[in-house]
Amino acid sequence: MDHARANEAGVLVDHFFRHEYGRLTASLALRFGLANLELIEDAVQSALAQALATWSRRGLPQNPAAWLTRVAYNAVIDQLRHRSVADRLAPNVDVPPPMEASPAPAQTEVADDELRMLFVCCHDALSSQTQLVLALKLLCGFSTREIAARLFLTDANVQKLLSRGRKRLAEQCGDPYTSEWADPDAERMTARLDAVQRVIYLLFNEGYSSQRVDEVIRHDLCDEALRLCVLLVSHPRGNQPSSWALLALLHLHRARLDARLDADGGLLMLEQQDRTRWDRAHIYEGMMCLHHSGQGDIFTRYHAEAAILAEHCIAPSFAATRWDRIVELYEALERLHPSPIYTLNRAIALAEWKGPQAGLDLLEALTPPAWLVRYYLWDATLGELHRRVGNTARAIRDLQRALERAPTHAERKVLQDRLQRCGARNPNPRRP
Amino acid sequence: MTKYMFLFWTPQHQDAPQPSPEEMQAMFAQWEAWKTKFKDQVIDMGDGLQPRGQILKEGAVIDGPHPETKEIVGGYSIVQTETPQQALAIARECPMAYVPGAAIEIREMMGY
Repeated sequence: MDHARANEAGVLVDHFFRHEYGRLTASLALRFGLANLELIEDAVQSALAQALATWSRRGLPQNPAAWLTRVAYNAVIDQLRHRSVADRLAPNVDVPPPMEASPAPAQTEVADDELRMLFVCCHDALSSQTQLVLALKLLCGFSTREIAARLFLTDANVQKLLSRGRKRLAEQCGDPYTSEWADPDAERMTARLDAVQRVIYLLFNEGYSSQRVDEVIRHDLCDEALRLCVLLVSHPRGNQPSSWALLALLHLHRARLDARLDADGGLLMLEQQDRTRWDRAHIYEGMMCLHHSGQGDIFTRYHAEAAILAEHCIAPSFAATRWDRIVELYEALERLHPSPIYTLNRAIALAEWKGPQAGLDLLEALTPPAWLVRYYLWDATLGELHRRVGNTARAIRDLQRALERAPTHAERKVLQDRLQRCGARNPNPRRP
Repeated sequence: MTKYMFLFWTPQHQDAPQPSPEEMQAMFAQWEAWKTKFKDQVIDMGDGLQPRGQILKEGAVIDGPHPETKEIVGGYSIVQTETPQQALAIARECPMAYVPGAAIEIREMMGY
């Protein structure tokens, strides 16, 4: 987004205030150091509040982003000056003079600042959840309350995670990221890429999760993940095949986001989805990114997952899907990251390709870990395959067990439908 | 045609949650919509007021308004309408009317 031209015709683009929060926090943290993060966040918040009060009376300035830069910067140095006056131990701290006017921020500079902030948030000493919360607050500009609502946490939880995170970031004495950032061989930066990709994927999944009913929030979170991933691939630090594969994956999932729910908010299975509602633009972008990610021999889990999604997106119908290719891709994925979940998905694809018995044979050869057996999808899959093969009694038993554990209304409905197709007379979970 | 001043009373408690950036953008859009809809009646968008100042009374000066008072006047606007009912109708649609704990005091101006 070109910041200078983003607000033509006196109208603010969607999420302008929120994205400006991210931009300003990133650039001021770079300028004044991570130890001043809370002070910086307050200054940015107050600059936005001032913008609201001023602009609603006087109209938008010529360059809203430049206006905010100046006001936020001055708010920071104002706070620093007060603090240096109050702090008798360090009365001679050098506080710079106020900014008179600020130039429009260059787009490449903005991207660099924001990506650097994202890398900083993905500190190894912090849990993925803390990294995610920091990114949502500092980069995406969500408030504590909004983060709590999106992650199904309490406000107090989020406050605690943020304060722990800020403390850890403040401990970066001497700001190593300034020098390491500029050095393309810096090992720590390269190791961080993994964590950054994981946080982006985590963010996307929060929006994509089937528990999420609010469409606005779903779009918010998925689009933020996409925005950060685009930032990642556009920068030398993040321009790797794995990042492009991740971006492909996000676009291809995003393409189907709205088609997954029916009119009542119920979850539709892949075979039930109206493929005309899949977003063509996102499919196109996803395929382009997938193509771009195919550089040399590099093949990561993101490559495999994106390629599987691509098979679904290009198939004209559920029946016409290249299930053999999908089975192959799951095999590759399992070689990279052995996981019974992938085996489960492979069994489903195998059943579509070679018939339900083939799927059953694969699952019965597997010794599932305890956690997988407790996962509703295990019984649901076994039940459905037994149903297709004709083992009705076994199917009913498995589907009933799955129904008891199904986490959402939408998934329970799917299982109840399948039980009814077995001719089960009472497709309701046994409750005490 | 009569002028009415809208005095915006805002709550002062410290722990009032601040609006998030996203909420601020929504509020900005609401102000724009209100301004546009009543552009012929809202003759002065007015200004905000700093919460702290001074009170000079009978020669004595104290700091005021007191930080403990529940609400203070945070700003004002001026509208011009034929009837007081029309002024009220405009106030009802003002974004300030939706802020929890806030109030819009509508006072007819004398026209001295």
